[in-house]
Amino acid sequence: MKTILKVQDLCKSFGESRVLNNVNFEVEEGEFIAIMGQSGSGKSTLLYSISGMDRPTSGDILLFGNDIAKLDDETISEVRLKQMGFIFQHSYLLKNLSIKDNIVLPGFKLGKLSREEVNQNVDALLVKTGIENVAGHDIKKVSGGQLQRAAICRALINQPDILFGDEPTGALNSSTSREILDIINTINNEGTTVILVTHDVKVAARADRIIFLLDGNIHDKLTLGKYDGIKENTSLREKTLYEWLEIKGF
Amino acid sequence: MNWLIVKNDFKRNKAINLALLLFMMFSAGLAVLSVIMGVQTFTSISNLYEKAQPPHFLQMHKGEINLEEIDAFMSEQDGVTYWQTVTMINVHGESLTTAGNNDQFNLSDLRIDIGLVKQNETRDLLVNAKHEKVILGEGELGMPVLLRERYDMEMGDPIILTYNDVQREFVIKEFILDSQMNSPMVSSTRILLNDQDFDMLAEEAGEKEYLIESYFANTNEASNFQTAYENAELPQNGQAVTYAMIFLLSAITDITIVFVLLLVSLLLIMVSFICVKFTIMAALEEDLSEIGTMKAIGLPFEDIRGIYINKYRALALVGVILGYTVALLSSGVFTNHISTTFGDMSMSPLTVILSILVACFTFLLMNLYCKRVLKKINKVTVVDALVTGKGFGKEEDFIKDGLYQSKKLSVNWLMAIREVFYRFKNWIIVFSVVLIAVLMTLVPINLMNTFESPEFITYMGSSLEDILIEVQDGENLESNYERVIEVLESDAGVEGYYEYRRVRVQTMNADNDLMNLHIDSGEHSGNELQYLSGAAPGADNEIAISYLNANEIDKEVGERMVLFYGNEEMEFVISGIYQDVTSGGYTAKSKYDFPELDSEKYSFSVNLQDNTQVEKKADEWSESMGPGANVDPMEEFINQTLGGVVIQLKTIVAAIVIIGVCLVMLITVLFLKLRLAKDLSEIAILKALGFSELDIKKQYMIKIGSVSLIGIIAGIILTRLLGERIVNLVLMISGLGIREVELIANPLVQYILVPLLLLASILSVTWIVLRIIKRYHIISIINE
Repeated sequence: MKTILKVQDLCKSFGESRVLNNVNFEVEEGEFIAIMGQSGSGKSTLLYSISGMDRPTSGDILLFGNDIAKLDDETISEVRLKQMGFIFQHSYLLKNLSIKDNIVLPGFKLGKLSREEVNQNVDALLVKTGIENVAGHDIKKVSGGQLQRAAICRALINQPDILFGDEPTGALNSSTSREILDIINTINNEGTTVILVTHDVKVAARADRIIFLLDGNIHDKLTLGKYDGIKENTSLREKTLYEWLEIKGF
Repeated sequence: MNWLIVKNDFKRNKAINLALLLFMMFSAGLAVLSVIMGVQTFTSISNLYEKAQPPHFLQMHKGEINLEEIDAFMSEQDGVTYWQTVTMINVHGESLTTAGNNDQFNLSDLRIDIGLVKQNETRDLLVNAKHEKVILGEGELGMPVLLRERYDMEMGDPIILTYNDVQREFVIKEFILDSQMNSPMVSSTRILLNDQDFDMLAEEAGEKEYLIESYFANTNEASNFQTAYENAELPQNGQAVTYAMIFLLSAITDITIVFVLLLVSLLLIMVSFICVKFTIMAALEEDLSEIGTMKAIGLPFEDIRGIYINKYRALALVGVILGYTVALLSSGVFTNHISTTFGDMSMSPLTVILSILVACFTFLLMNLYCKRVLKKINKVTVVDALVTGKGFGKEEDFIKDGLYQSKKLSVNWLMAIREVFYRFKNWIIVFSVVLIAVLMTLVPINLMNTFESPEFITYMGSSLEDILIEVQDGENLESNYERVIEVLESDAGVEGYYEYRRVRVQTMNADNDLMNLHIDSGEHSGNELQYLSGAAPGADNEIAISYLNANEIDKEVGERMVLFYGNEEMEFVISGIYQDVTSGGYTAKSKYDFPELDSEKYSFSVNLQDNTQVEKKADEWSESMGPGANVDPMEEFINQTLGGVVIQLKTIVAAIVIIGVCLVMLITVLFLKLRLAKDLSEIAILKALGFSELDIKKQYMIKIGSVSLIGIIAGIILTRLLGERIVNLVLMISGLGIREVELIANPLVQYILVPLLLLASILSVTWIVLRIIKRYHIISIINE
């Protein structure tokens, strides 16, 4: 397996307050990582730093061999467009565009494929995520679950190497949440590396590996192995994870 | 408590509040300034006229004069309260040499006639800037302010008069205001001398011209008096001018400027109100959750509005006071021309009262307007404010699907154009301000261009030729005429010429009284004029009449009018009505040459084969035709008659262009800052998707650029549609004899330079403001 992300001595401060303190870890291609921790532990800050959306105070973040903290705006934007996908807690779709237009946008911007091909890929993603019937809809007129699925389609349209998620199911009900997680697992099984921040045990239990943050440091790591979707195994993974977290006072 | 909130708000939203304050200050200041300018123009002129007492009717005359005959006639006229005959010694510019600023030069380039006069006793006085009658000692001279401006003269400068064999040296003691000849549009100017100097020169130098001046109890009697005077065959070898014409010719420059300033003020006030609304809405959007919370805890609408209205009241009050102060302080700059031309005038109580009233009215208007805008608070529900975040905007009813169908257009263009196309109302402020700036800039520019254009002469009642020759010396009229013909016929440089003969006939006015009609007759008479309606006379029984004459006799094109001359009468059909400012605006044109009548005047429109030789030829002919003929190169004639207006307009136009450019830049900055703040989340999303800062900047440049372009195009169209109507409305009100002017635009300026200047200014500030995008981080949407 190839290491696609290497984080070395990552520190991040906001004024006097240090949020991340010498964080070190590596992520291999095709892995599914869940970052967990208490509120204020620095997990979202870590995610935004390693995805290049925020600059670290010090340390190196080598993504695909490049130190993304040192890339200029044009280059980091290109990396984001070509190699990264991002799902937020809220869908953050552009409100003046329809569902389909929102998804098509990064594909058109990248310009790697013809516009017809991008449209075909979008249609396939819409079917895959079950929102093909709302493709032309106004984003204000569809449900939260449909919006989040659209956000996933948008994150995947350029077939990224790595997908980042910040509480991607945090605003959804449990059944929608399960469906979204199924989609993410499918993507991961197809080869896309996934790194999620969550405080939901059910979400984290889908990951291969869990990184637990405490006061800006990696306090512990837990390896669960690949998720197979079998109900009994899922319950066992959740139980293991729950007990592990309980010891950490989570 | 409210004031505490207001105070905190001022601290919190410094930029927005400052911008709002500036707009309120602008609105109030300009409104006050327009009033000051307008009132000062009329009060200054009135004051000067009250002191200097220009004649109600003035007949100029060159040649012999019989004062007893005139006195006898005047004393028989019922309405005449006073009369006097003023003697002028006519000299030419080249006879006067000045030596100011180490630079000796003579006034040979001055085309207008110069008359040396002595001070009158009680009426038609030449006064100083304080409106005091000027009394000079021997060797002293009073120079008209018109020439001070033109030649940069100073008090104490020596003036050497050289005429025939006479040479006298004078010193400028005063700059004088001449109530009847202070406009460059009047073809003469007067220089004041001491009585002894004048009497001595009267015997030695120059030819004499007389100003036969009459005063009436009612100035409206001038027209009837003119008919009676002319019919009495009294001296009339020269222009006749009425009081109303003197007033209007004096004031045209300042009236034009007041009009331009008023137009600009009105447009700026409109812009200010648009901005006030925009900034209030932006502030309300920003305070949406606070408003929602206040509503949720049960504060009634009036109380919530009260918090805001106090703030805007305070802003409006400070803005109006500042605007008023700035207007008062800067009014000196704008009224400078008024005080130079009409004398130093302290601000009249009427000006003070009116300007305070206008300031109060502006304050009330702003209050009302703010109250109206703030009504929106009532419409927003707690759910809109706190839950859906819909805010104050109307339901954005449709999302236009279809970006995915685009085949070629780059994503940045696609997004920007779609935004402008489908969400134009979001950009309406930029559109409106650019449109107003174009209108505000182009109307005065086109007006200036029109005044400068040679074609403008055709609106003034003259045809457009290279050289205009006028012969109007009563006694030697025919011999002078022969001499002109002789010169023109023998000159190989002449391509062609038209001659017109002026005769005087009578006709009935609207009240069925006889009135005089001066007709320029000739084969081509009236051919090159611009007609308000109808056309030039095509047959011998057709006549074209000036606009003022048409009003006087109350007839339209196609109607018949009877002309009485000698013992005959003849019926004519009115073929056309044209506008005219020459000869007091009361003229007519016909092909029929009235052989029975004596000529009053001859004029010749001459075209040269080589029109680069116009100046040279005019000088040459002026020399060879002698003093009986006035030879004027048309372009120079226009420059000198309209030059004053053009110079003033140029200054104003330059100021307006600067104001227009600053305005669009200021609005763009303000709008864009608020727009970017509103679009923060969208920008962050785009960045997260992989759009670079440059991409986002490009999108805004395209949005602002295309909205501005649409605004510019709309502005140009509106200028073409409304510009002339606005100008013509003012001309009609002014009663100058011009009712309609086709604005002559310079295509390079109208279609290229002004649009490019505005667009470049807008795009350059847009680019500067867009640097802020660098500071917008993706995580800001998470922290929002």
